Amino acid sequence: MNGFSRRDMLRAGAVGSAVMASQALASPLNGTRMLPAEMDRDVFAAAIKELRSIVGNDWVFADAQSTVSYNKSFIPDPEGLYLPSGAVAPASVEEVQAILKVANKYKLPMWPVSTGKNMGYGMATPASNGQMVLDLKRMNRIIEVDPDLGTALVEPGVTYQDMHDYLEKHNLPFWLDVPTVGPIVSMLGNTLERGVGYTPYGDHFMFQCGMEVVLPDGSILKTGMGSVKNSTTWQAFKWGYGPYLDGLFTQSNFGIVTKLGMWLMPKPPVYKPFMVRHPDADDIGKITDTIRPFRMNNLIPNGVLIMGAAYQLAMFHRREEFWSEEGSIPDDVVKKAAAKNGLGMWNTYFALYGTDEIIAATEPIIRGAFEASGGEVLTEEDMGDSPWFHHHATLMRGGMSLEEIGIVRWRGNGGGMVAFAPVAPAKGEEPKAQTVLAKEIMGKYNFDYAPAYAVGGRELHHIIFLMFDKSDPEQEKRAAQCMEEMITRFGEKGWCAYRSSISTMDLVADQYGDTNRQVNARLKRTLDPNNIIAPGKQGIG
Amino acid sequence: MAQVPVRPVRGGLPAFLVLAGSGIAGGVLLASCSAPANGTATPREPEVIYDTTCGYCHGHNVGPIIRGRQLPAETIEFFVRNGSGAMPAFKPTEISPQELSALSEWISTSKADSTEHGQ
Repeated sequence: MNGFSRRDMLRAGAVGSAVMASQALASPLNGTRMLPAEMDRDVFAAAIKELRSIVGNDWVFADAQSTVSYNKSFIPDPEGLYLPSGAVAPASVEEVQAILKVANKYKLPMWPVSTGKNMGYGMATPASNGQMVLDLKRMNRIIEVDPDLGTALVEPGVTYQDMHDYLEKHNLPFWLDVPTVGPIVSMLGNTLERGVGYTPYGDHFMFQCGMEVVLPDGSILKTGMGSVKNSTTWQAFKWGYGPYLDGLFTQSNFGIVTKLGMWLMPKPPVYKPFMVRHPDADDIGKITDTIRPFRMNNLIPNGVLIMGAAYQLAMFHRREEFWSEEGSIPDDVVKKAAAKNGLGMWNTYFALYGTDEIIAATEPIIRGAFEASGGEVLTEEDMGDSPWFHHHATLMRGGMSLEEIGIVRWRGNGGGMVAFAPVAPAKGEEPKAQTVLAKEIMGKYNFDYAPAYAVGGRELHHIIFLMFDKSDPEQEKRAAQCMEEMITRFGEKGWCAYRSSISTMDLVADQYGDTNRQVNARLKRTLDPNNIIAPGKQGIG
Repeated sequence: MAQVPVRPVRGGLPAFLVLAGSGIAGGVLLASCSAPANGTATPREPEVIYDTTCGYCHGHNVGPIIRGRQLPAETIEFFVRNGSGAMPAFKPTEISPQELSALSEWISTSKADSTEHGQ
């Protein structure tokens, strides 16, 4: 850290950052820099000079002031271990290739981001200090949309908002599937992180088709049918011929994905959203067992969310409105506050899509099953102007919303939040046990359990948002400790995360075992011998 | 916090019939540049940036209302670039310096919107 704390760095960067554009030319050797480990300052300066010759002076950020936007994250980082040295923003594949040549020459590690809005997992910040952010946001072309096949080919900088606007402008009858912060998030970035959404196309990687990847040596790989001469099926058929390679470039650091194919959902004639309200904390088992057959037989086709009451309250309220003690907010307080807002301890959101006839046939079957589990099945008519119902109804039709960012100020103005997302099989007893364990651990550290279960076909992503006040150093430290204990103790029971914060990537990778890590390491050494792309991502390199 | 609830999307034919009968560029691939913040394209209007970024939180349950308060433009620029608490930071690749300057001025001098609500 060169004798400076993370807070010092952030503060230094904050001063005068409003005029950062005019500072982009400042010398990278001015003031304190967060450099890659063992990199000489002169070497860094030489690399910066070459990067500027590639993308232009305005698109290299290599001093404290101009780098400040890249430092912001919600996750706990009490020891200041995740700060970039700077950022470089190419506008084309050719510029990416040229940048990689420089990175290889100087052994300057590059941390690729599409829009850098990986909210619960570290934003744009790298997995170790001094990596240079490779900001791909300027590559923001929607290259193709096929109105017959409902396919799209996009660059990294295309957000869900961009695609939403494009579909509207061209009056194309397709829906998107968005993560909870769609407007400012990259379609490519979220898909590569294997993010999820809430329509029937909710498993984003499942609906991905074809990639263009710049490999660390600068060569370009088109996956699937993309490498075939005169191919007309790149975005139509996922698997290609021989080993399926696309997975290698998700949650990894084997290459830089510069184009991504996606499938778009045909807009249904009729859409009907529902909320099911369950009153008690231990209802999670019954809810899971009720949903499972409907997800397996696709009677409920969409990515269902089972939202815990504390999570829902945190979206639009602050903790102090309900609870002023330091210890975790008790269930009875949450339950009372939830009831006052028309919510249960668990609120399950699903939707039906199709025609009036299809929905009329399906709804009674699902309604009957949920009612038998003790839930109240509620529609738009029942929920009126509930902002929670409105929010989830928006998500389940792929609409734009940023409302869930509200949870980040639950505990105070400091803006702290990190996600732990272990996977559970869709069998009631397991999520029930996970909920008990999470509450116990979070209670030990005086944090509130605010969960969402995202239901896939046969499993649940148990998304636990640990909300804390990042302006309180003690709380930040405690949040890091709590997260580590949760990952460790869940792992002991065989429950591992599907994705993780940059601060816990090694810890989670270890839980997947030595052989898994060794195979990834061998692939890394083969494809990226200088270890210049995102070292440490998912514990690789 | 009251919202206008979403309405079921109704009417029309099943999706495959809509697609087949739409006549939309049958089989022709569409190509376009989305609105870039890369300094080489036409800067977006402040209202567009506000509607597609700021306005999802500010005046919409999550962030404080910022229109109609004559907040200093420099303060707005600072918050956009640095982030603040629950607000993410926005990079020059997302909102260009030219766009940010116009956006900050627009927010600073804009009238309050009575449809906004927040905390």
